[in-house]
Amino acid sequence: MTTVALSELLGAPVREPGGAVRGRVREVAVCPQEDATRIASFIVKTDQGERVLPPQRLQGRQNHALVANAPAAEWEVFSGGEGFLLLSRDLLDQQIIDVHGRKVVRVNDVDLFEEMENAHLELKVTSVDVGARGAVRRLLKGLVPAGALRALVSKIPPRVIPWEFVDLIETDPARRVKLKIAHERLAKLHPADIADIVEDLAPAEREAVFETLDEEVAADALEEVNPKLQVKILESLDSDRAADIVEAMNPDAAADLLGDLPRETSQEILEEMEPEEREEVAELLEFGEDTAAGRMTTEYLAMGVDASVQDAVETLKQFEGGIETVSTIYLLGPDAKLMGAVPLARIVVSPGDTALKGLSLDPLIFADAGANEKAVAELFDKYNLLTLPVVDKQGRMTGVITADDIISLLRSKL
Amino acid sequence: MRRKLRRWKTRTLLILAVIGPGFITANVDNDAGGIYTYSYAGARLGYTLLWTVIPMIIALVVIQEMSARMGAVTGKGLSDLIREEYGLRTTFLIMVALVVTNFGNIVAEFAGIATSMELFRVPRVVSVPIAAAIVWLLVVKGNYKSVEKIFLFASFFYFTYIIAGVLSDPSWAKALESTIRPPAPKVLNSSEYIYLVVGIVGATIAPWMQFYLQASIVEKGVTLRQYAASRLDVFVGSIFAPIVAWFIIVVCAATLYVHGPHNIQSAADAAQALRPLAGDYAYILFAGGLFNASLFAASILPLSTAYTVCEGLGFESGVDKSFGEAPFFYWLYTILLIAGGAVILAPKVPLVKISVLSQVVNGVLLPFVLIFMLLLINKPGLMGKHTNSRLFNAIAWMTAVAMIGLTIAWVFTLRG
Repeated sequence: MTTVALSELLGAPVREPGGAVRGRVREVAVCPQEDATRIASFIVKTDQGERVLPPQRLQGRQNHALVANAPAAEWEVFSGGEGFLLLSRDLLDQQIIDVHGRKVVRVNDVDLFEEMENAHLELKVTSVDVGARGAVRRLLKGLVPAGALRALVSKIPPRVIPWEFVDLIETDPARRVKLKIAHERLAKLHPADIADIVEDLAPAEREAVFETLDEEVAADALEEVNPKLQVKILESLDSDRAADIVEAMNPDAAADLLGDLPRETSQEILEEMEPEEREEVAELLEFGEDTAAGRMTTEYLAMGVDASVQDAVETLKQFEGGIETVSTIYLLGPDAKLMGAVPLARIVVSPGDTALKGLSLDPLIFADAGANEKAVAELFDKYNLLTLPVVDKQGRMTGVITADDIISLLRSKL
Repeated sequence: MRRKLRRWKTRTLLILAVIGPGFITANVDNDAGGIYTYSYAGARLGYTLLWTVIPMIIALVVIQEMSARMGAVTGKGLSDLIREEYGLRTTFLIMVALVVTNFGNIVAEFAGIATSMELFRVPRVVSVPIAAAIVWLLVVKGNYKSVEKIFLFASFFYFTYIIAGVLSDPSWAKALESTIRPPAPKVLNSSEYIYLVVGIVGATIAPWMQFYLQASIVEKGVTLRQYAASRLDVFVGSIFAPIVAWFIIVVCAATLYVHGPHNIQSAADAAQALRPLAGDYAYILFAGGLFNASLFAASILPLSTAYTVCEGLGFESGVDKSFGEAPFFYWLYTILLIAGGAVILAPKVPLVKISVLSQVVNGVLLPFVLIFMLLLINKPGLMGKHTNSRLFNAIAWMTAVAMIGLTIAWVFTLRG
């Protein structure tokens, strides 16, 4: 029961039972379809060509050499690494996502756990080394006697990422399926963290992540990515996939993004979208981006002017939109005229039969669809708003601007 | 209509934004080390080194285009690519060589700052620490991007060499003839001649430029879509920089080589070259320009080195990170700056000689970086159908082989 580093295994001699060295380890492979941590095979370079040795065929390790339990003539011929995750090629020196530390890191070495089981060797991947320990071990390998190197390296404090927090990036879609790379753990992070991670990746890798993530998660993350990069990411995806993601975005964010795309690209994406979402986004696209209407979302909670607190609570339970838009519930009269705005906090503390009308804010603050950004920001500042309704010329409610939109707007001007 | 106008605006901005990395890199390249090397070469050997300029333009265009293309296609920096394809040990060795070489360049920038300010009677014990502090604060605390434009504008100082070139009344016929006539084989016996050829090439095609340009292209987010504009930018810069070098050599040949001093030992000597243009005020022009070029490059070189090394070796990097988050990055950056300045403050350092030497070291390292670039850019797995054309491969390989050959030849002249 010991720990062994991948770099110590690579290049290690492989002996026959008799003791003759017949080859050297070229690769160490995991087969994620079967087991995500267990070493499935050693790929060994011999004079007769490449051979595969599963750990069941190894009776142990002596003086850094692997000892097979059958003569070299019986070693199976290596026939392509289909479905294999190759630790040296796919991991060493490559970038991975550290899901726990929420960042992109480069792999210096891989730590394996080694034990004997039924008289044969068993190895499991335990962690990847991203610190100085792995780097020094690899830099000095072969230049310093193995024993001395081990002693030296053991003095360096390790910086490792446990294997279960390692998220691999694979740009080839077919291989992604074979290696079962689905970014499940990445998807559980906060969208803003996913966005930060994605911004650190190269374009092809970014594309790979956005192709793999669930569209809801992809949409939330995409909204947090900086606007210039949003455009690049969306352009790199095929329009079908792009449409799926845009559909899941907030309509206002989706409209802003589509407005930044070249006309043909945005048209292609719109055509692929579901009619309902398409209409919403297309409507928003008509407005200038620097007006109140261009900043608003059409996703908000509105009720009849005669509704009660009880009704509001029921409606809230059904509402599927983003939480930032429901901090205020709007009251609409005939022909969707804006009649009142009730903060959620007031609803929560009032008895169920209270009429919402009585809880409405006074004065009722709203913006005209054509109002410019500066005027809108001033309203937020002056009245300490969380949301601001937008009405058209006839006084009909058309959408809502939320404080987070204003924060992004102001930050972009800093 | 409104939307259309906005789109038109973004298009124009796009072109302006893309015109940049190539031109900036080429401009920074005419830094203190470059100016001193060209001046020194012109003063020592007159017109005889001018033949290097045309091959250098061709090589620089090809090599810089390769860097930019690799950045646009892969979206990764050169050190990242070397690491991912050739492993830790190779990357480590290249990074060590690059840090040593770039450190020489940083020392040369501080030499430029010290000597130019001395023409204004500011002693180097004052100018060097202040300049180092300004650069450190500018990059770490300030907004480098906004200052970059000032540097870029001020670098039009190079035009003074073109004007001075006209006014110094050089022998145009001889200059042009020297530009197109290949050198006689017997020059290979001259140690100084080969030394300066390597220095001139190293000054024009510096290894750090390849890392810096590729990183800038990646950071700008240039992809294949906008690549055409970037290529134009790279071409313009790559042609402009060696032409400036040509004029500096011609000016120094027409003035210093003809009238002396033949051995440039200080900025005051080098400034004599601009006498035909500015008379007794030549030193102001020279000192101002040299100071700007040095400070510009001093803001870029240590930072670029720190980024390159951290990316290659997998350390956290970036000025948007805190000192605690990216300690190696900040330490490397700070040490390069402080140590670079400290060398200049040591007593009796021959500043001009050191500057020239730093460019020779550039020239010695160049072929090794170039070979890795060639290996990488010809990998279809990495570059798809954007691998090098046969012509580009031929030119880049010839450059690498020529530089290795020159280095070996120089070593032999020393022994002989």
